[in-house]
Amino acid sequence: MKNFLAVGVGAALGTYLRYFINVQTQFTGYPVGTLIENLMGSLLLGLLSGYFATKKPKEWVKAGLGVGLCGGFTTFSTFAADTIGLYLQENMWLSLCYILITLPGGISLAMAGFLFGQKIGGRTT
Amino acid sequence: MIGVYLTIGGAMGAVFRYVAGMILSRFQSNVTFPIGMLTVNIIGSLGLGIFFGAVYGGIPAADVSDDPLYVMLAFGFFGAFTTFSTFSMESFHLLEKRQFKTLFSYIGLSVTGAVLCFVIGLKVFQL
Repeated sequence: MKNFLAVGVGAALGTYLRYFINVQTQFTGYPVGTLIENLMGSLLLGLLSGYFATKKPKEWVKAGLGVGLCGGFTTFSTFAADTIGLYLQENMWLSLCYILITLPGGISLAMAGFLFGQKIGGRTT
Repeated sequence: MIGVYLTIGGAMGAVFRYVAGMILSRFQSNVTFPIGMLTVNIIGSLGLGIFFGAVYGGIPAADVSDDPLYVMLAFGFFGAFTTFSTFSMESFHLLEKRQFKTLFSYIGLSVTGAVLCFVIGLKVFQL
C-alpha cells in the first residue's frame, strides 16, 4: 500500500512539473517541452538507478522516485503524438529529427546518469 | 483546479503502469526482452490516439491546455501511464549487456508500435 501511495504522489509531482514545462515552452510551437522532459527524466532515472544499485533503498522510496516521479515526468504517448503532429504540420524531416534527438539522447543520458549515480553511491559507502 | 486534474490523472496513470508492470513481468521470467514497458507504451499511445480522434477529431491545437478533460486524461493519465525514462534505462541495460539484437528490436518496436497505434486510434475514432 505504501508503494502505491508513493507512486501516486511521485507521479502527481512529475505530471505537474511536466505540465509546467510544457506551458512555459508552448510559445516555441515545437514539442521542446516534451523533449526536455524525456531527456531530463532519463538522466534523473539513470542517476537514481545508479545510486540505488550501490545503496539499497526501501522499496517505496525506489517506487516513488523511479516509477512515480520519473515515470510521471516523462511520457511516451505524447512523444508518439508529437512525432505524428510534426509529420502532419511541418515536414517529415522535422519529425525524424525529433525521434533522432529523443532516442539516442535519452539512452545516453540514462547511461551517463547511471554511471555518475554509481560513483556518488560508491564514494559515500 | 488544473492541479487537481493533473494530480488525479497523473497518479492514476502511474499506478496503472505500476500494476501493469507487475502483472506483465510474470510473463518474462525467462526472456530479457522488456515486454512490460513495451506493452504499456503501445497501449497508452493507442489510448491517446483514440482520445484525440474521438474528442477532438485529430491532434488538438496547443490551446487545449486549459481543457479539464485534456489535462486529466490526455496529459495526466496517458502521459503518466506511458514512460520514457524507463524505456531509456532498459535500453541502456540491454546495451550494457551487449544484447544488440534485443536492444534494436526493443527500440524499433517501441517507436513504430507506439506511433502506429497512435495513428490507428486517431484515424479509427475520428468521426
